[in-house]
Amino acid sequence: MPPLIEQPNAATDIRDAFFNEVYLLAQADRRVMVLTDDQGAFALDRIRAELPSQYINVGIAEQNLINLAAGLAIGGMKPFACGISNFMSLRCSEQISVNLCAMNLPVTIVASGGGLTYASDGPTHHSIQDAAVMRTMPNMKIFNPADAMSTAACARLCHQSDGPSYVRIEKGQLPGLYAPDDNFSPGLSRLREGVDALIISTGYLTQTAVKVASELQFLGIDCGVLDLYRLKPLNTGALLTQLRQAQRIIIMEEQTPIGGIGSLVCELLGEHGLAVRVRRYHLPDAPCYRYGSREWLHQEFGLDFLSVARGIADWLLSNETA
Amino acid sequence: MIKIDIKPLLEQVVNSKPTQLLGRVDNAGLDLFVVELECKAAWVRAQILEMIAAAGKGHIGGSLSCTDILVALYQGGVMHYSPRNPHWAGRDRFILSKGHAVEALYAVLTQAGFLTAATLKGYGTDGSQLGGHPDRSIPGVDVSTGSLGQGLGVGAGLALAAGRLQQSHLTFVLLGDGECYEGSVWEGAQFAAHHKLCNLVAIVDRNHQITMDDTEDCNAFEPFADKWRAFGWEVREVDGHSFSALLSAFKDVRKRTCNRPLVLIARTRKGRGVSFMEKTVGWHHRVPKGVQLEQARREISQTLTETGQSNL
Repeated sequence: MPPLIEQPNAATDIRDAFFNEVYLLAQADRRVMVLTDDQGAFALDRIRAELPSQYINVGIAEQNLINLAAGLAIGGMKPFACGISNFMSLRCSEQISVNLCAMNLPVTIVASGGGLTYASDGPTHHSIQDAAVMRTMPNMKIFNPADAMSTAACARLCHQSDGPSYVRIEKGQLPGLYAPDDNFSPGLSRLREGVDALIISTGYLTQTAVKVASELQFLGIDCGVLDLYRLKPLNTGALLTQLRQAQRIIIMEEQTPIGGIGSLVCELLGEHGLAVRVRRYHLPDAPCYRYGSREWLHQEFGLDFLSVARGIADWLLSNETA
Repeated sequence: MIKIDIKPLLEQVVNSKPTQLLGRVDNAGLDLFVVELECKAAWVRAQILEMIAAAGKGHIGGSLSCTDILVALYQGGVMHYSPRNPHWAGRDRFILSKGHAVEALYAVLTQAGFLTAATLKGYGTDGSQLGGHPDRSIPGVDVSTGSLGQGLGVGAGLALAAGRLQQSHLTFVLLGDGECYEGSVWEGAQFAAHHKLCNLVAIVDRNHQITMDDTEDCNAFEPFADKWRAFGWEVREVDGHSFSALLSAFKDVRKRTCNRPLVLIARTRKGRGVSFMEKTVGWHHRVPKGVQLEQARREISQTLTETGQSNL
């Protein structure tokens, strides 16, 4: 008997939280197939070892991986197509568009290494455009969870979906933000209340946003935090409710300023005539040839919690109009 | 001499029965089934020409080159399908990877009974169900295509799913030779061979022409068959305009003992059936007009009549 899989917690590697869930789904549903572009993760290895007929290492051929997933889905299977974010989202954007999205097939793309996860590997591995590109894909659901619990929930949500999904998963251990019985169907979650401003973030930077809000508390600034873990379909009603209540809005994203959650929120504000001041923290629209850890690069680009907290404090306390 | 009423064959529109004359030979030794298929192919060619002439657009060269392959698959008793129940679970899956040859597919699907003559006639008009590439909302179409180089990988996924779910149907993928310039074709080919997808059959319409050039002048494919062999496929090279050759190549397709996927390299001519198209490069998506249209009509209907008369 395999050991029981425990509920994910802060000590669970995020990838394992996701693939443990996929393992359980695959055990219960033989239509689940896991395809990888030569990725390894502890829980993925377990699927390979224990459910070999539901696992294929396709090799380093992502375009074919997406095509295969499309064929499998048309043939009645539920594929999880796993690979490195850029090589799935950018390299295969056409296969995703015409084979998954236009045919609305139940394929889940599992994108590892979102944002600056592979910090020192340079711009080929910096996934800072994928949210924008995936947002243009019709029928696509986009998930960008920030902790183990919400990441595991995404695996279930994707499996239940009858259309394509794109989920960006983190790696390593991150503090838990959610409880086991939290409901993830709304697509966004208010993690912290606060009246002075609202920080909206997604994925890894939601962890930073929580730290920013705690830091600002020491300065007497009361910031709320909203985790936008589903970018598409957007829960427009719930997001508008949050935006209407906000005095000021801060958006943090590990993407370029084009097409990600900053664009998404500003589009919504404009369409609904909401005159609220917005400040955006993001990566530059440029390839990054600076090498170091993810935290160091965040400092370089002003995305670390101290830079953001300082920026927000200056903005709020100086009563700037911009 | 066996008397056959050729008229219904020439005038057929829908619901042709694939095996009407299978196995019947007249006393001069002619295979009447082949004669029937030639008539059906001539009918398909006539539809392709009229569709493209009426719409003022379409891919005539590649549609005419793969007509005989499609007629062999759908009317030669090769593929299993059910026009009354297009989603019948036991059907063979077919992918037109060279999706731009859609006029040939629409005519063949009409001949097989998936589409009505009225639907076919609507091709090229505003609001038509039939566009310039196949989409899976059309009865008889399992996979939407149009972007070249992707059908073989999708077909490999379908074949893999059938294996995992213990289903016995086959998956057929028709590729153009030009699309074999796309690297993803070879990613799919390598995968299919490694995973021994012997329920996958690829057919390459080897008409030697892309839009601007002969393939061998642009970026040579030859030795083409060797490339497929090197990728692990069983290769059969056939005359893609000979029904007896095509049917013989497909004969054992359901009971091959070989554990490799099968590719038929069908030697064809772009624009087959219209002499001035066969002779020149440039009929990828040109539309015949005026005297050329008249000549094309005459040649196709002559083939049709001659086929019927000379052989019967």
